[in-house]
Amino acid sequence: MKKVILLHVLAMSKRILYIFLIQCLSMSLLFASNGSAQIKPIDKVQIDLKLSNSFVEDAFSKIETQTGYSFVYTNKELKNLPMVNINSNSSLYDILVDFSKQTGLQFKQINKNIHVRKVDDLRPQTPVSIVENPQETVSGVVVDQTNLPLPGVSVLEKGTTNGTITDLDGKFTLNVESEESVLILSFIGMETQELTVGVRRMLEITLKDDTKSLDEVVVIGYGTQKRREITSSVSKVDEKSFNQGGVRSPIDLIQGKVAGLSITRPNGNNPNSGTAIQMRGVTPLTGNLSPLIVIDGIPGGSLDLLQQNDIASFEVLKDGSAAAIYGTRGNNGVILITTKKGTAGEARFDYSNYFSTDVVAMRPNNLSATQFRGLIDQGLISSNNDLGADTDLYEELLNKENLSQYHTLAASGGTINSNYRASFYLNDAEGIAKENSRRQYGARINFNQKGINGRLQMSSNLAVNLNKANLLGGGGGDFEQAVQRNPTAPIRNPDGTFVETEAFNNYNPLSRLQNRINERNQQTISGDIRLTFEILEGLNIGAFGARQQNGFNDRQYRSLKDFEQRPNSSYQGTGYARKYNELSWTDILESTVNFKRIVGDHSFDVLGGYSYQYSTFENFAVDNSGFTTDSFLDWNLGSGSAINNTQLPRPGMSSFKEDNTLIALFGRVSYTYKEKIFAQAIFRREGSSKFGDNNKWGNFPAASVGWDLSKEGFLNNTKVDNLKVRLGFGVTGNQGIPNYQSLVTLSTGGVYPQNKVFYQTYGPSRNPNPDLKWEKKQEWNLGFDFSFYKSRLSGSLDIYNRETVDLLNGYTAQQPPFVRSSIYTNVGGIRNRGVELMLSGIAVQRDDFNYSITFTGNVQNNTISDLSNDFYATDFLEYGFLPSPGNLGAAIRVTEGGKVGNFYGKEFSRFDESGKWLFKKADGTEGYAGDMKPEDLKILGNGVPKYMASLSNSIQYKNWDLTVFFRGKFGFKILNTQDLYFGNQAWLPNNLLESAITKNADLKDNPQYSDYYLENGSFLKLDNVTVGYSFNFMGKTIKNLRLYATGRNLLTMTGYSGLDPELQDTGFTTGIDDRGFYPRTNTYTVGLNVTF
Amino acid sequence: MLHSKRRQKMKNIKKIYSTTLVFLILGFAGCMDLSETIYSELSKDNFYNNKLEVMQGVLRPFTHMQAWLAPTGQNGYYYHGEMAADQVAWPQKGRHGYDGGDHIRLHNHEWTIDENRMRGAWSLMWEGLGYVNAILEDVEGLDIEKAGMTEEERQQIIAEIKVMRAYHYLRIMDMWGNVPIITTVGKPLNPPTAPRSEVFEFVRAELEENVSMLEPLSQELVGRVSKASGYAMLSELYLNAEVWTGTPMWDKSIEYADKVINGEGGSLTGAMALDQDILGPFKNNNENSPENIFQFAFSRKGGFSFGWGGFYVGYGNTSKIWDVTYSGNNAFVVIPSAFDAYKENDLRKKEWFLFGPQFEYQTDKPIIATEEYVGQPLVYVNSIRRNSEGATGEGSMVEGEENSGARFNKYRSGTKEDPNYQENDYIIYRLTELYFNKAEALMRKNGGQATAEVVSLINQSKKRAFSEADWADEAYTPGTLTLDELLAERGREFVFEGKRRTDLIRFGEFTTGTWWDHEPDGDPNKTLFPIPSIQINSNPNLVQNPGY
Repeated sequence: MKKVILLHVLAMSKRILYIFLIQCLSMSLLFASNGSAQIKPIDKVQIDLKLSNSFVEDAFSKIETQTGYSFVYTNKELKNLPMVNINSNSSLYDILVDFSKQTGLQFKQINKNIHVRKVDDLRPQTPVSIVENPQETVSGVVVDQTNLPLPGVSVLEKGTTNGTITDLDGKFTLNVESEESVLILSFIGMETQELTVGVRRMLEITLKDDTKSLDEVVVIGYGTQKRREITSSVSKVDEKSFNQGGVRSPIDLIQGKVAGLSITRPNGNNPNSGTAIQMRGVTPLTGNLSPLIVIDGIPGGSLDLLQQNDIASFEVLKDGSAAAIYGTRGNNGVILITTKKGTAGEARFDYSNYFSTDVVAMRPNNLSATQFRGLIDQGLISSNNDLGADTDLYEELLNKENLSQYHTLAASGGTINSNYRASFYLNDAEGIAKENSRRQYGARINFNQKGINGRLQMSSNLAVNLNKANLLGGGGGDFEQAVQRNPTAPIRNPDGTFVETEAFNNYNPLSRLQNRINERNQQTISGDIRLTFEILEGLNIGAFGARQQNGFNDRQYRSLKDFEQRPNSSYQGTGYARKYNELSWTDILESTVNFKRIVGDHSFDVLGGYSYQYSTFENFAVDNSGFTTDSFLDWNLGSGSAINNTQLPRPGMSSFKEDNTLIALFGRVSYTYKEKIFAQAIFRREGSSKFGDNNKWGNFPAASVGWDLSKEGFLNNTKVDNLKVRLGFGVTGNQGIPNYQSLVTLSTGGVYPQNKVFYQTYGPSRNPNPDLKWEKKQEWNLGFDFSFYKSRLSGSLDIYNRETVDLLNGYTAQQPPFVRSSIYTNVGGIRNRGVELMLSGIAVQRDDFNYSITFTGNVQNNTISDLSNDFYATDFLEYGFLPSPGNLGAAIRVTEGGKVGNFYGKEFSRFDESGKWLFKKADGTEGYAGDMKPEDLKILGNGVPKYMASLSNSIQYKNWDLTVFFRGKFGFKILNTQDLYFGNQAWLPNNLLESAITKNADLKDNPQYSDYYLENGSFLKLDNVTVGYSFNFMGKTIKNLRLYATGRNLLTMTGYSGLDPELQDTGFTTGIDDRGFYPRTNTYTVGLNVTF
Repeated sequence: MLHSKRRQKMKNIKKIYSTTLVFLILGFAGCMDLSETIYSELSKDNFYNNKLEVMQGVLRPFTHMQAWLAPTGQNGYYYHGEMAADQVAWPQKGRHGYDGGDHIRLHNHEWTIDENRMRGAWSLMWEGLGYVNAILEDVEGLDIEKAGMTEEERQQIIAEIKVMRAYHYLRIMDMWGNVPIITTVGKPLNPPTAPRSEVFEFVRAELEENVSMLEPLSQELVGRVSKASGYAMLSELYLNAEVWTGTPMWDKSIEYADKVINGEGGSLTGAMALDQDILGPFKNNNENSPENIFQFAFSRKGGFSFGWGGFYVGYGNTSKIWDVTYSGNNAFVVIPSAFDAYKENDLRKKEWFLFGPQFEYQTDKPIIATEEYVGQPLVYVNSIRRNSEGATGEGSMVEGEENSGARFNKYRSGTKEDPNYQENDYIIYRLTELYFNKAEALMRKNGGQATAEVVSLINQSKKRAFSEADWADEAYTPGTLTLDELLAERGREFVFEGKRRTDLIRFGEFTTGTWWDHEPDGDPNKTLFPIPSIQINSNPNLVQNPGY
């Protein structure tokens, strides 16, 4: 109870705090607003003003509030001014004259604005002047490098708030003060340009693309930096470089685009399968292997809330010196995702769509009915296995007419001070398998506004995703049946019922698809608001609040006709229904102070902040059986008779809730000297509720330096445009363990009778470890950024060495004295080393023809440096346990000093005359499986790709564009378990892969795990080919129209004999091609993007 | 003038800074709390409020014990005891059951210090001991007023817990011999190994001190430790004293066997007696069998049924044999020599095993095989070899087929329509064992020669397995009941009851005997299992057993 009250107080105090902040800010807003006062010359305005010994700024602000005029000045003008005394009830003109006398300031009224200048003599000749019509009118047209007009460009008279925005044709007209006035033209993604008006009255201005420039703004977490200032390993991928075509997950947009970032889809293009993401090799033994995803500042943002057309850029913080600002969760790297914002200018609509279809690229090569009968003729199996039909079950499971479609409409626009973007989408994704689909729709709304002379900024997002997934089909099990089910078995009996074959682990997947429901309805929402207030020039305070919430309802039903429910089963011919609900949410509150100052050649950017994150998870499940009718499905759970009929499996119910808190204080100092030497230091102190009382808090420091050598004289007159060397070191952490591991609690232990009544029993839930502490990673990164030949060739090279220590894991506990068999503790270390290279070249650069090539590649090496601590040691950890039948043990073993991903087991020698396995023993002799002793086992190969590379070719010819993208992984072995189980005649009378009677024909023995089944996994994929055409519409309605066609996963070049050499290569279970036979597909997409 | 202006401006800026600072500090101070809220577990602080809750803690070790003690599919005491002995095996059957060679190594007594399953057994059994120590600590520190209990009740509960702890140690000692003696949770770290004689003494003392405080066995105590079960433990302890300490203690074993036999420890049915129905102790209402002493109380209705399917039942096609809803992994089979140890007229051979052609329950419709004999009727045969490939001879651990070996049928759940379906308790001690204990102790005291009393004890048990007509020829006489015969009869009577390894060791047969595919290696160190290497690694004070 005490805790609950405390929580309330805590929540209240936060609320009060933020209300207070909002109050302060909105008050200021009120003061600043000028209503809609008529513009009068200042000599016609009477005011009453009494000031003694007041700052000039205070006086101005008092006048502004009373009159609605705005004073326009730069801070420099008001430096070192004396205090002023005013006691007057007269016209504003007279007051300003009085002001001028005291301060030497000169005032000029232009419409609503009163421009303030300082003149050298104390008594200016015309202290106050009124200009009813500004002196100079300037107009112009702004175009981009391809000479297309740019609407929405902000045009601002420097030092004032006087400004406008270009219209649809890129044109603008602005009244400026004088010919000396300077215009600032800015547009997102373009280099900002300044120019003096001069005598010209019609300007033609070309804005240049900013993407590759050193002034490109890069998001680094709690702030931004210019590309030139970056001192750590940060990769940015913006929209122009995204993978094209429809993607299943937004992270697929950058697959192969960032050296060292591994993104794989282990289950093909299944719309309901996830993506495995890993940066620079595996770090933690436990918890989440994926980098921290931060969406517009929300750490742990849900990828479900992102749509490909809403994303402006990905920034990937690869090394510790960058990721340390996200301390605790930075061990696996950080991916910062920035969504698109509205831009000032005329309102615009963007509509995009695509239609795509999957076509089977590769299916398993199982025996046809004819081939199967051949085995019967050979006497390998008895003739009663010929069930008379000719079935290709694999084909029956395919949804060949699959069509996925996607539509999104975004509306955006704004003024100089506010902008918005709202996008809405509908996505209907169908997999290649039957009953395997996902339909989702949702929206993302972004609104930003500036006020109080640009000093207060608010930005906010609201995103929602509603999706409905059909999880019934597409499972690996169904396709496994398609491989192993007797191909002579018909699917249905003449009476329409399904044929169930009786062999090992058999079921009829079509019966399952027909008689079951397995659906998920998911709702994910997030909302955030960020307020930034400029207290003084260069000093900003910010507050950020966000909530992300994810919930889903699962429904499952198995009909009375389902095989599992058959009369002879425990369900005795009745139906089964289950409901499962899950809800999780995270609240985030952060406040920051940011101070920027330039002193001579030195520039500082200092950030300090506080972060609070509270997450909770809850679920409940109910199931029941005994439904005598299919009429209700899962919509009347209480009607199932298992509640009172104890002959049926007991109905189940469960619920669960947990929470955790993360609190951090953090700071960052960035320093620049003459834009030549750069340095950054980060410190984050973070506490997690998950750790023991003694070790809740951890410190995560980082530092990095950069030196731009091209600024030094010795590189003048060379082909080097830019050459920067960077060196960074950073510490990050991991807290990816279950909650409560440091606490002593009791949990349920099953029922036991007290005097014949069965009550629940309770015992210790775990071995608590009050000394549990952060896992920490220390990482060095040496990097080079370079560009040569007028930026025709550019790139970056990074070399890293990182050591993760105090690895968190559930280790085998010392028993006795501990109760439970495992204990979460910190043991051992992992070392990852690697080199990453990104090279970008412009091969051809002409007016109507451009050809650029980008290469990314990396080499990695992951070893276990240590598996022991003071009171705990182990020789090895095992992964990749091979399944039934046979339960052949673990395929992968990591040992101290060994590489991650080593296959460990028997070395194949040959088959003996009768087809039995013979393996090599340590003493050089041969032995059968039963003869193999532990000392005969050895390392057989490694399942983690040593090299990964991608090559992107991008060609533009007039209005055509073409992208050809290759991606590959090299230097690893695959354990082909499909061949191991199904390419073996011992699998009969189940159906076999063809290899059983070809490649493995000599084998007449039961499956054994050995290097016989290890194959070279290296592959190169032609991953994406896109052709697009952009129309030259200069009409009023359609501004831009592009049509494109994409083919994905078009070609795989590999020596691997299985379905797809691209497997899960993240974590510790790597390189095992499991028995899921989900088809690999080519995906063809056509789509259009139109702006109007 | 200028001076003061600057000062005032500085002051102003300071004000802004300090406001900001206050603002931030406010933010920090409110939210630095990292305590966790527990929702789905219990905190000890708000539990143990009454005797019911205390007992919910006291009984936790039982629900865990079934995992390693009963044949419920886990790699515990039962699995290792039976797989290393001469009655049951888990041979490879075609593509099934190789399981990394685990069962083959156990059968051949070739286990290593890295056996995964042995690691599991160690872990399961010590976890059970940990639960006992945990609740003992909690009860000793219990606020009895808060729980509404008397000190006497507390002392009785403590006795019950201590007897449970002794039973855990009895089994742990049987497996590994020399182990640490631990009476607290989580401390000390790195506990040292105690020699088996010390462990024995600890168990002995704990039992002797506490058994007398237990309640006598009654229906209320089904599934709990009673005086009777405590006496049975003592009888077993003393029977094995020669093996475990080097000093025989036959008289003590007899003394405690007598206490049970005489009903001094109470009874489930009012009077302790042998069940004349050979299936009686194992039936789905076996809490009413007069001979049952100590059992794990399973109940399907209560929410937890005894699932022997994992080890002892065939695949889904075999459920119809009993008209039941469970099936299994077709794992354990009876070793041919063990099946041959029964005479054809032994009712136990007929009732406790499945053999020959199998039919759907109470019909003549054959069960259809699914593997080597797919599509053909399933016939269990008394051989473990590739008959489908025409094999002859003894067969071996790697030559099994789906129908190899006779099968388990000692416990029967009843059909799925039976009101007591799957209500069977797992029996840890039954009266017959005390008869055997006493008989053996008497014989050994008598230089291995049977006496009339010995013969009477064993015949009372054996008689139930034969018809009146056959009995005259089957009854033992002091001449026919040798020690070897006693071991054989003990095997026949207690087949599948998880006691065979201990018996073979006590009779000196474990490391010297030959059975079916098993050749003895004569290594006396094999009577103890090795301590798993992972535990040796993590506790420098653990001493590995000799020979490993």
